[in-house]
Amino acid sequence: MSTVADRASRATREASSERGKAIANILFNAGLAALFIGLFVQAGDLPSSMWEPLGAGSFPRLILGALVLFNLAIMCQSMMALRHADPTASVGAGRWFMQRRLAFATLAAFCAYALLMPWLGFALSSLLFLLVVQIILGARSGRRLLVACVIAVVFGPGLDALFGHVFMIPLPSGRLW
Amino acid sequence: MPMTDALLGSVEQLFSLATLVSMMIGVMAGVIAAAIPGFTITMAIVLALPVTFTMSPLQGVATMLAVYVGGGSGGLISAALLGIPGTPSAVATTFDAYPMARKGEPGRALALGIWASFFGALISAVVLIIAAPPLALIAVKLGPWEYFSLILFAVTVVASLVGKSVLKGLMMSLLGLFIATVGPDPMMGVPRFTLDVDVLAAGIPFLVMLIGIFAVSQLASEVENPTELKQGQALVRGKMHFRPFGVMREVLSRPGNLLRSSMVGVVIGAVPGAGGSIANLIAYDQAKRASKTPEQFGTGIADGVVASESGNSATAGGGLIPMIALGIPGSAVDAVLMAALMVQGVSVGPRLIMNNADLVYGMFLAMFLAAGMVLVFCLISMRWFVRITEIPKSIIVPVVLVCCAIGALALNNRVTDLYLLVGVGLVGYLLAKLDYPLAPLVLGVILGPIAETNLRRALMADENWTLFFTRPISAMLLLLAVLSVALTVRRLLKKRRTASP
Repeated sequence: MSTVADRASRATREASSERGKAIANILFNAGLAALFIGLFVQAGDLPSSMWEPLGAGSFPRLILGALVLFNLAIMCQSMMALRHADPTASVGAGRWFMQRRLAFATLAAFCAYALLMPWLGFALSSLLFLLVVQIILGARSGRRLLVACVIAVVFGPGLDALFGHVFMIPLPSGRLW
Repeated sequence: MPMTDALLGSVEQLFSLATLVSMMIGVMAGVIAAAIPGFTITMAIVLALPVTFTMSPLQGVATMLAVYVGGGSGGLISAALLGIPGTPSAVATTFDAYPMARKGEPGRALALGIWASFFGALISAVVLIIAAPPLALIAVKLGPWEYFSLILFAVTVVASLVGKSVLKGLMMSLLGLFIATVGPDPMMGVPRFTLDVDVLAAGIPFLVMLIGIFAVSQLASEVENPTELKQGQALVRGKMHFRPFGVMREVLSRPGNLLRSSMVGVVIGAVPGAGGSIANLIAYDQAKRASKTPEQFGTGIADGVVASESGNSATAGGGLIPMIALGIPGSAVDAVLMAALMVQGVSVGPRLIMNNADLVYGMFLAMFLAAGMVLVFCLISMRWFVRITEIPKSIIVPVVLVCCAIGALALNNRVTDLYLLVGVGLVGYLLAKLDYPLAPLVLGVILGPIAETNLRRALMADENWTLFFTRPISAMLLLLAVLSVALTVRRLLKKRRTASP
């Protein structure tokens, strides 16, 4: 029953973000089109070859030109969708982010994990990452927290030892020690 | 190399203790990963890739095939016991396996699925062995014009079949083709779009892209809903009764359904972009149409489980046909397998079977071996399957993210690859939220260098570009590419018209 309710809530969330999606699509494709035009111009400077009619820049230019056309087509499609979307049913960008706060928090933790790894090394940064993300995702009570600690030790320092000693694939050891 | 020598050489490599052990671990990993709702076979195989770097090419690819074939069966566990498909390729399995389990026959539902998967994988391996070598012989005769058109066809088919919008699918394919141009030019070696950044000097690392796109972004999607995090309350409880050999006879007593569904899986698997997620639904639909009692489908009958499970498992062999014969992956999973071979220095293309016969025959044998291992493993451990579905996502997600980090680090041990992984994962997540399909992007990246090289070779051989339209096979492939897009646009417009009053 709860599964059905979860699926329904997800469907409602997706439906209520149609207007936001259309706006995001327009902005995203406008940005991409500008980037691709810049790269198209840059590709013109790539050297040509005396042995073949196409130089190093021809294929990328062909693709970039087509990409700009697709960006424009998607922008037109999104503008039409925006006109038909019900503005009263849409959610704001802030709420959209709030609804996905756990996903963004997990990605933010993953980003911090990547930044810390050169300093702390794989074993310690993984241990901290595993513990923090499990706490973010709800492992806050006694037994679940204990399980989270065990998981953090097994899959942090444990995996480091497995890859380093068994598979002979060394993982970063950290600059601080 | 004569066929018998190649076969004997591959048998020797495949039946070594190290390969058998790594394949068994691969089977277990595939079954377990696919049994967890939200974790796809692609994710499992992407994460298995870094572990295979230290292995020989055959051991590595056999291990990944074991994960692939294991994953084909694992999705049925949560489909039968929770009513939630463990992978998208087990959607149709829920239609009959779950009602059967709810009616007090969970053991029968699981055993039916396991045997149907086994026979589906076996049939697909036989078709692969029969079809791939002659197709490769034809493929080596194709010129660069035909090859370029073939890639264009593959790209349009993928873009048309995946996702809700053809425009977005095509855009992602093109984006993939563009990403592939970053790094040295394939003909002249000139650096392109590298921004003088070291990490881009050899091109965007493909493995990092794969992990970011298929694992990190997918994992972020899995933790969106707080109420879904405590996943794992099995809806089917109580003692399970198994009669594995009685059920085997039950499956074999439906030869028509088994053969038809497996062939549907093989054909759909061979079409680029259309994998198990489509095959199981079409196989189920075909079985229902052919049945004398179609009204019983969906109530928990054996035919429904057999159709879906044999259909999705048969895509494994089907997907390998274009990869081995043409060097074009049939699905994202095959793209990862292709990447694994490329990392090992094996050139994948129509000459693969001629230049690396022992490897290809080893892959054929590995398919049979993996199917057998999955069967044995599943039949032995079926009683504990229900436990797998009870692991909460709050544990799985961070653990798999750490595995993703290892995957990104394993190839070059560069922390910059890890930063790239985070970036690709975030972009992939946002793209998925905006309904951009990610599979065409990955296939575009892997097909990009092949497309560019063939286009340039074709125009080097003859500057007349109309040859793309006048050479019969090339013209036919281009026509098919246009048709695939046109038919999808027509289907989507029809769907939209029926949806709006």
